Amino acid sequence: MPKVLIVDDEPFIRLLLEQTLEELEDDGVELITTDNGETALEIIKSERPEIVFLDVMMPKMNGFDVCNAVKNDLGISGVYIVLLTAKGQEFDKQKGADVGADIYMTKPFNPDEVLEKARSILGL
Amino acid sequence: MAPVSLSKLIKKRALTPLFYRLVSDLETSVVIEDAEGKLLMATDGAERCTRYPVTVTGEVIGWVNGTEKVAVIASLLTCLAESEMEKRALVSETLNKYKEITLLYDMVEKVSSCLDTKEVARLVIEEARRVFRLSSVAVLLLNRETDVLEVVGEFGHEPGVTATVSRGVGIAGSVWASGRAEIVNDVRSDLRFVEGTDSICSLMCAPLKAKETVVGVINLGNDQPVTYTAEELKLFTTLASLAAVAIDNASLYEQLQETFYTTVYTLAETIEKRDPYTGNHTKRVMEYSLAVGKILKLSEIDMARLQLGAVLHDIGKIGIRDNVLLKESALTDDEFEQIKKHAVYGEEIISRISQLQSAIPGIKHHHEKFNGRGYPDGLTGEEIDITARIISVADSFDAMTTNRPYRSGLSLDEAFGELRKYAGSQFDPIVVDAFFAADVMEAFFAANSRRKIIF
Repeated sequence: MPKVLIVDDEPFIRLLLEQTLEELEDDGVELITTDNGETALEIIKSERPEIVFLDVMMPKMNGFDVCNAVKNDLGISGVYIVLLTAKGQEFDKQKGADVGADIYMTKPFNPDEVLEKARSILGL
Repeated sequence: MAPVSLSKLIKKRALTPLFYRLVSDLETSVVIEDAEGKLLMATDGAERCTRYPVTVTGEVIGWVNGTEKVAVIASLLTCLAESEMEKRALVSETLNKYKEITLLYDMVEKVSSCLDTKEVARLVIEEARRVFRLSSVAVLLLNRETDVLEVVGEFGHEPGVTATVSRGVGIAGSVWASGRAEIVNDVRSDLRFVEGTDSICSLMCAPLKAKETVVGVINLGNDQPVTYTAEELKLFTTLASLAAVAIDNASLYEQLQETFYTTVYTLAETIEKRDPYTGNHTKRVMEYSLAVGKILKLSEIDMARLQLGAVLHDIGKIGIRDNVLLKESALTDDEFEQIKKHAVYGEEIISRISQLQSAIPGIKHHHEKFNGRGYPDGLTGEEIDITARIISVADSFDAMTTNRPYRSGLSLDEAFGELRKYAGSQFDPIVVDAFFAADVMEAFFAANSRRKIIF
């Protein structure tokens, strides 16, 4: 069963992404959510989700750190990481590339594009 | 909105362990089915004694089977499902708002950098088509000279329809007059409706307001009966205000461009007024040059500076005294030296205007020769800017084919012969080839009929 992990400390972003991606559940995809980087890393290690929507700005362990741990330190493959950044916030694209993120997306995101992207990554 | 699924609800990670604990604490067993009777969950030793419904807003979404002890589980699931339903309604509403924000963000980003009214109209139409249920949409702008609204961009109308709208006439005309956006969900029963070629059932129309003045309207409609909502109108109005600011901005820029080019042209005309025999020379040199530039596939930027250079190529003649400039007999060497100074005078005059810097090579070097024997700098070949090489051919051709006080003009064939003869020495052969490939006659007539200076 393919899994999609949503990581954001802001509850309404989690809800919005969950709702946006909800119809994937009809194709047997499991949506998992969490509000912090440490738990996200644990979930990625144990559940091996296909896609992770990962907020950059989070207290303690931020998105860059999680991504770096997954892609560089642990070398986990087969996880597509989408970094979420806020519009107007200076985003260091080079840093995104260095930590091995597959793509980055600005909030407010376009729900239709997010769903389409997730579908194409999952091959649905 | 999709109904709450009991199957998804009981599979929630946080819920599952609590659920099993509850069943074990109740010292019972349980079987859960969805509304169609499909098994979703069963604990060991389950018996189907009684079934208790799980409901959302009165609708059964599943059953909890067991002893009377499991009734509390059914109530609990009902309660969770209801709250899930409320959460979904809220999130779904927020998601809609979120989509609107995304739309506006996209729109702001695209139109704020756009300085062309038609392009703004196109972008607005594109966004409107993405967001609203419509079969046709049009952006109309006020023509201040005729005081009617004219279509500057549209989608979905009958081909060839270029209806204009007068103030107060029809629904669009009434929105123009009132400055207030409107929904008309039954167009045909609206008294203001004007019969047209398009069959529209429902429409929304919003004014384009810039600085409190209505400069146009956006009109969208559907040929199927749909009911547009107040929410849609609000979003549509926001889109319209955004478009209005961008259109206002773009049209100010266009006016500025127009003023700039007119000023440039007027400057060039002052020179023609001093030497009436050259009548329309400037326009012809400009048209010939543009025709050649087109054949040579110059970039948009090069075409713009070619046009400016061609218009202003003789501006330096302002500095030449009348007794030399207008002399009807042959010039002495000294007089010719004075005439030659117009190239440098041109540069001096134009160098003060920052927007015209790129036109300077065309002005200063239009008397340079390909073989290096021209003036003022004696440049050769490609050292001479492409605009100057083009203007040189256009200027010479026009000088040859028009009558001057001291000689009558050559025939077209003779003039073409001269260009061919001096290709490679006086002229760039590539430019001469392009001149032959260009439609010179069309350019000639265009020069005589041209009203506006800019493209």
